[in-house]
Amino acid sequence: MDLTTIGLNSIWLMLATILVIFMQGGFILLEAGSTRMKNAGHVAGKTIFTFGIATLVFWAVGYGLIYGGDGNAFIGWGDFFLNPNPEAVDGDAYPQTIDFMFQLAFAGIALTIAWGGFAERGKLAAYLIFSVLFIALVYPVVAHWIWGGGWLSEHGKQDFAGSTVVHLTGAMAALAATILLKPRIGKFNKDGSANEIHGHNQVFTALGVLILWVGWFGFNAGSTLEVGKAFFGYVALNTQLAAGAGAIAALLIAWAITGKADVPTMLNGALAGLVAITASCAFVDPWAAVVIGIIAGLLVFGSMKFFEKLKIDDPIFALSVHGVAGVWGTISTGLFATETLAVQTLDWGKPGLFYGGGFEQLGVQVMGVVTSGLFAFVASFIILAIMKAVMGLRVTEEQEIIGLDLSEHGSYGYPEQIKQTNN
Amino acid sequence: MNFSLDEFNKKISNAESFKQLGEERDKFNEMIQDLHTSIEQIKEINQIHDLFIQRTITLSETTLRGRGFGPPPVSYDFILFGSGGRQEQTLWSDQDNGIVYENPNNEHKEKVKSYFKELAITIEHGLERAGYPPCEGNVISTNPLWNKPLDDWYFKMNEWFEDPHWEHVRYLLILADSRSVYGQGILINKIKTRYFSEVASLSPRILEKMLHNTLRHKILLGVFGHLIKEQYGEEAGGLDIKYGAYIPMVNGIRLLSIEAGLFETSTLERIHKLKLMNLIPERYAAEYEKAFSNIFKLRYRTLYKKENGMYTSNGILKAKQLTKEQREELKSSLKIANKLQKYIKKKIDSSR
Repeated sequence: MDLTTIGLNSIWLMLATILVIFMQGGFILLEAGSTRMKNAGHVAGKTIFTFGIATLVFWAVGYGLIYGGDGNAFIGWGDFFLNPNPEAVDGDAYPQTIDFMFQLAFAGIALTIAWGGFAERGKLAAYLIFSVLFIALVYPVVAHWIWGGGWLSEHGKQDFAGSTVVHLTGAMAALAATILLKPRIGKFNKDGSANEIHGHNQVFTALGVLILWVGWFGFNAGSTLEVGKAFFGYVALNTQLAAGAGAIAALLIAWAITGKADVPTMLNGALAGLVAITASCAFVDPWAAVVIGIIAGLLVFGSMKFFEKLKIDDPIFALSVHGVAGVWGTISTGLFATETLAVQTLDWGKPGLFYGGGFEQLGVQVMGVVTSGLFAFVASFIILAIMKAVMGLRVTEEQEIIGLDLSEHGSYGYPEQIKQTNN
Repeated sequence: MNFSLDEFNKKISNAESFKQLGEERDKFNEMIQDLHTSIEQIKEINQIHDLFIQRTITLSETTLRGRGFGPPPVSYDFILFGSGGRQEQTLWSDQDNGIVYENPNNEHKEKVKSYFKELAITIEHGLERAGYPPCEGNVISTNPLWNKPLDDWYFKMNEWFEDPHWEHVRYLLILADSRSVYGQGILINKIKTRYFSEVASLSPRILEKMLHNTLRHKILLGVFGHLIKEQYGEEAGGLDIKYGAYIPMVNGIRLLSIEAGLFETSTLERIHKLKLMNLIPERYAAEYEKAFSNIFKLRYRTLYKKENGMYTSNGILKAKQLTKEQREELKSSLKIANKLQKYIKKKIDSSR
């Protein structure tokens, strides 16, 4: 490969990496805005230090367990404590350094999604330990199965940028966490009805969504990995369409059913559109991207209500946005993947049900999403259950009521505001 | 439910203190446990509410006499607004009331004013003892805005008509439902006569303002023809019958009645009169009457509680209180409420 091509690829992939890392900023605002003021500093701060932990653990073992060359169908092996060649070597489309950075950014996103299930009541220590175990034991397995040459990739499981690998895995960990942690104080009444615990700043939440939206061009379009004939533009187009469609669909369905055009639901619709198109962005026609986004927007509304009915507290709707939309996005390629894109452009799996592929690809997608989701849930549940028994996951009632800013970190994110409300 | 109006009349008229009146009120609420109330019974319940309020006022006058204020210095009407004005009180209605009194001579003005101020305080207290919570919106005779001589009412009303911003229009709409519960009713009728002549001279602009003020309560019917339920809290799954069904119909019919200059205040009487005057087609009138009666009866089935000695409710009907048939019936009533809103919008827009 000539130097110009390597250089272009590398610049594009590095830019995509930066965009994906910047998505952490989107999550900070999204999560802080969706929760209460007394936890804001904690919510924001923990995103940074757990990303730090993820970095070190991914460098030490995570990357090697996904892509290490001495692995098998279940797990990769090798390249631990990565010490890569400083430059691209012969045959590389880009250097391994940048590949590592890009993959790390994705792992970091999966972990941050998982925190949705811990929000407003998880112990600081639980965040520290679970960061290590999730990046070492949970994420690499699913990532290896689908992207690292594992058994699902051999079946041609289509997941272009990680509806399953990143979003569903993160959401399953969040589900395990929220089940084990139990709902926040005041979320449900004795008769089982749910209360609305409003986030403290919808502007933060909306800005968080926009930052995520922009970052998603690194996430999806960057997953072309190479510049080639600029196929990333097409992936970006589909991504944009699905996000827009998701926002509109969620707003309209909330308005129609509840009589209120709820802003948080609309924002979740945009995210659900993005999550859903993540698997399928490179495999489908633009009209299908719109359909996938619309269905994701409708699903996220129903799913938010569904989890509430089950009395599962999902403070920032990670289960609905990343879990349910992640499942839908993965299955959607089994329906809408075109022959031209899947076979000719990408050579990745087969066309979907609506493009003459029959049920084959759809079957692979369903199998992939079920096995990956199940693994991520069971593994996270076991890890968290052991942690719960050994060290406990949840702060005390008193700490939860004072807020994690003070109880876990010793100072409020909004000192003046909180003092006023306490008086 | 089985009670004799005469019997209650006797008991209430014999009550010699607010305490006794409060005891009678408790007995009254206890007796009406069966919430499946007919329109006829609701009318009787409202007559009894009137008796309670009238007796409270008589006792208050007596109290003031005992405290050396003497008898009322001029004649007055004690007026009810809101559901009391419309004779549509529930078993948990609050106090929405005011006083209009004869213009006093200049030299007695302050003395008269202080008498009615004191009277209002005493009545408010008495009504609280009888289980009526004070009005949250401060539409109550202890608020000087709602307790003044006839000329001041004229003056204020003029001000409201001349500068019809949102709050003033709200006052005008409140006034439209007023009814004298104690006194000869001459004073309130004078106010209303002037009110309707103002409306006639300012139409349709003032009606448009009134329309916009009343349309903000959305009917509980979604675009798929489903009932819009409470999403959160202990009432999740419940229906906000008050603001999502009852008030929109009341507001709609009231607006047509204001346009027509009707002195009637009860929604059913207003519908009847509008029909007689050919202001709404007979077919529509029958539909409105049926829908309103259904909604009104459901409103009566809302659960209420006694809190700090007073009867209150959040106006939410629990979903499980309704059978499938009743839900369907409610939906068709709400469709008619929707039609009413559309009819009014069209009517007022076309008169522009």
